[in-house]
Amino acid sequence: MARTARNFRQSLRLLARDWRAGELRLFVVALVIAVGAITAVGFFNDRVDRGLTRRSADVLGADLILTSSEPVAREWVDATARYGMKVAEALEFASVVIRGERLQIVGVRAIGAGYPPRGVVRTAPGLGQADRIETGIPAPGTAWVEPRVAQELALSMGDKIEVGSAAFTVARILTDEPGRSANFFALSPRVLIPLTDVPRTKVVQPGSRVSYRYAFAGAAVGLRAYEAWLRPQLGPSHRLVQAREGNPTIARAVERVERYVGLTSLLAVMLAGVAIAMGARRYSARHYDAAAMLRSLGATQRDILELYLPQLFVLGLVASAVGCVIGFVVQQVIYYLLQNLFPASLPLPGPWPAVFGISAGLITLAGFALIPILRLRSVPPLRVLRRELAPLPVSAWAVIAAAGAALVILMWRYTGSLALTLGVLAGAAVAIAALFALTLGFLRLARGLRSGAGSIWRQGLDRLQRRAHASTGQILAFGLTLMAMAVLVLVRTDLLSSWREQLPDDAPNYFVFNVLPDNAPAVEAFLRDHALRSQPLYPMVRGRLTEINGAPAMQAVAAKDKDSGPDVENAALQRDLNLTWAAAAPSDNVIVRGQWWGEKPGAALISVEEKLAERLGVGLGDRLTFVIGSDPVEATVASIRRVKWESFHPNFFVIFSPGSLDGYPATYMTSFYVAPEQKPLLTNLVRQFPGATLFELDQLINQIRSVVRQASLAVELVLLFVLAAGFAVLYAALASSLDERYYEGALLRTFGASRWQLRRGHLAEFVTLGVLAGVLAAIGTEAIAYVLYTRVFDIAYTPKWPVWIAAPLVGGVLIGVAGFIGTRRVVERSPLTMLREN
Amino acid sequence: MSSLANGVIVSALNLGKRVVTAEGPLDILSGVSFEIKSGESLAIIGVSGSGKSTLLGLLAGLDVPTEGEVVLAGERLTQLDEDGRARVRAGQVGFVFQSFHLLPALTALENVMLPMELAGVGDPESGARALLARVGLSERLTHYPRELSGGEQQRVAIARAFALRPAILFADEPTGNLDTATGARVVELLFELNRERNATLVLVTHDEAVAARCGRRIYLDMGRIVERR
Repeated sequence: MARTARNFRQSLRLLARDWRAGELRLFVVALVIAVGAITAVGFFNDRVDRGLTRRSADVLGADLILTSSEPVAREWVDATARYGMKVAEALEFASVVIRGERLQIVGVRAIGAGYPPRGVVRTAPGLGQADRIETGIPAPGTAWVEPRVAQELALSMGDKIEVGSAAFTVARILTDEPGRSANFFALSPRVLIPLTDVPRTKVVQPGSRVSYRYAFAGAAVGLRAYEAWLRPQLGPSHRLVQAREGNPTIARAVERVERYVGLTSLLAVMLAGVAIAMGARRYSARHYDAAAMLRSLGATQRDILELYLPQLFVLGLVASAVGCVIGFVVQQVIYYLLQNLFPASLPLPGPWPAVFGISAGLITLAGFALIPILRLRSVPPLRVLRRELAPLPVSAWAVIAAAGAALVILMWRYTGSLALTLGVLAGAAVAIAALFALTLGFLRLARGLRSGAGSIWRQGLDRLQRRAHASTGQILAFGLTLMAMAVLVLVRTDLLSSWREQLPDDAPNYFVFNVLPDNAPAVEAFLRDHALRSQPLYPMVRGRLTEINGAPAMQAVAAKDKDSGPDVENAALQRDLNLTWAAAAPSDNVIVRGQWWGEKPGAALISVEEKLAERLGVGLGDRLTFVIGSDPVEATVASIRRVKWESFHPNFFVIFSPGSLDGYPATYMTSFYVAPEQKPLLTNLVRQFPGATLFELDQLINQIRSVVRQASLAVELVLLFVLAAGFAVLYAALASSLDERYYEGALLRTFGASRWQLRRGHLAEFVTLGVLAGVLAAIGTEAIAYVLYTRVFDIAYTPKWPVWIAAPLVGGVLIGVAGFIGTRRVVERSPLTMLREN
Repeated sequence: MSSLANGVIVSALNLGKRVVTAEGPLDILSGVSFEIKSGESLAIIGVSGSGKSTLLGLLAGLDVPTEGEVVLAGERLTQLDEDGRARVRAGQVGFVFQSFHLLPALTALENVMLPMELAGVGDPESGARALLARVGLSERLTHYPRELSGGEQQRVAIARAFALRPAILFADEPTGNLDTATGARVVELLFELNRERNATLVLVTHDEAVAARCGRRIYLDMGRIVERR
């Protein structure tokens, strides 16, 4: 015990001395950059994540929403207090608002105190007047109405309207409220009244179609716990929606950012591991003599461990802590620099990224550095007499197993999925093995090129050959680093452009509904004549899916509802669907199975949206029965379509073949883009076609754009951190061969080689190394990009030809220059000094 | 320290070392037997490749023989494992190497302090200062090995070797990396300290002049003792 304590003190002394002599700098720098990158990504991710979740919640008006066709058990509402959550209740129903002779179909939302728990309601004192944020709900006996209601009914403030049996005074114009965007297909304009006034309206009767809505907000932990408690109790009539599910566009943007950030974090961890492994190898090799000397002085193997392991631990702890602080500061600095780009202030990151950063540093260190350091224990004491004696090389499997175990632990924490982690690692192992084989092939190929090369290049190639083992390792390390960078840059570029494509500047910002069939050609002509970029007009018939192959459809849905949780498709089944027919498939829909019908199909055919088909378990040839009015209409599934819901084009779950819905009452609808200066045209449109309803999407689009901007920024920032980790690897890889180069350079100079000859040799060697690594990176990038695009990010894949030029070029230049600069000491100091130090 | 029979501190009995090479087994040492008494000085002399450094490694327990036995300070080294041999070395054995083996990250003073710190000796610093003063390096305490000449580095190594007052000192070609004049001064210092501290000295060299200063000499050729003086 006393000996162990003594060894520990001695270990700290040795650590301090090594540090002072500069022995540990490479190692610590690699670890600090690594942990810094991991924690900066972690902190920023955490912060953006909290910010994005909050924004999605603002758009939806809650973190979590429960809807039900009947009041839920009181216990469900009361339980929120236990989980530290706020809850606001609301009741929704379709109704008709009457003023004098005029009526308007509206969606009434009766709201209780505390509505909305997230986001804001904005109202204005009159049509066209400036709005403000509301802090409360309408006073009893008053209503807030959307501009469309006020327009249709020519309302002024103070006018009376009737909802059911009750009269309400119009108090404000409702300009914005959360949750509006989520269901803009519910066409009716909104009227807000206080929940306490609902009984007066007498609208809610047994059997009436109303929706009870419970909006929850609270801290993430409480929400998760509440959701876990509630979900098993849900019945088929309940829907639970998280903020992120509320809006598919935002949900997808957030999901992609998370995947991207997750990916970059993983790459940062892997790169850091490589840098640390290289640093540890060098550290270990430089301490063989010391270990041998200590052994000759009588130190046991245990003493050696007790002298070196605490150094590793203390070093890891201190470097990780420094890395954590740097990670936090970097994250904070960037946040302040870019603060005005964020739509709202982001909450501070939580402490977990720091805890994870430090443990990630220690785990990475253990996985990648422990085994090389453990080798010190086996340094034969005889090395003091015979310097060439090194400890037996540790089994490569042991190193791989340790590093693999560390990566599994770290990745598991990141991805939350053991299967995904093991899959990624297995893929990486296969890729590394393949790249290793390729590297050996390259080196052999380079030998073939040797005869045709000039003397300088020959010298460089010869060096690579002579040190084939080390060269392979370096090419692999450089190649993996370049590959990681190339993959991230590519994915980032394509991710950003796919977002921009998703919401181009001229994305439709207006929907027009309720166009009568007789007016449809005239509306089409109006849009065309005024050069408003429009989608085709689609007829719309309301119908409800009742049977699948003759069996009730709700059974299938209810059965699936419980295990997979509610989503948009389910909602579509719980109410009437907007059905349409079309001769041609919508331009941005993709037929994934089956075929689009020809000119004049004989029987009634339908094309079903992919996810709905999946949820219903229907495939090609299945028969679906819809009830339109009171008539059943049966049609056969002819194709399954993929729909871009976020395109703001008219999109439909079910499209019929032309002629199948003839004779049913239809109205037409479409979406189009109106530039700000064209807005006055809309008045003409409304005047010319008074029955048509306009729906403006500008505000929603702006919301989504700001989320995407924020997300893009996050993507760009995390890329920087991974680049830093990549440079740590380059630095470590370079430094790992420096000792040998110093010695060899000194010897060559002793033999008469000029400094310039040596420098050119170094340049040739590193440029070759970089180019080979670049080619390797291009191969790897192509393979990884294919998998990522098609499997993870769901972006169209095209071969990445530029990478085949850029990667070798960047590799050659970057590694050539870095190597050239890094090796300058080889010729700057006198050969005698170099030889003496060795 | 175990009691020593007849004052013998090291004995080699029919020592042999065989290694396997690509061309088959090769005997580096065979049938080597001798004894060294406490306080004696012994030179092992031979040309390059005669097996003298191998013999030194076996005597100090840094390596194990393929046959025969070494008894060091009363302990039969061949019956001990590596850590057991290390414990015998600890505090009893000092080394001076041809290539000095100073730790590059440690100053001259710290290199000399190191064995004392490892052994938990109280106040290692003043002990190390005194030793460095004894070898004439009072002015070089805070210098790193790379800032010292070869002769100075070897003097630091000698100070380090005597830091724990070893009963026996093994020196492997201590002048091998030094010029003649510097080598002579270093050897002088080595013998002076050895006398002052009454240690046993086993010295490997190919230099007759250095060997001549030892009480006894063993000549090795092709791994066998060919002459004793």
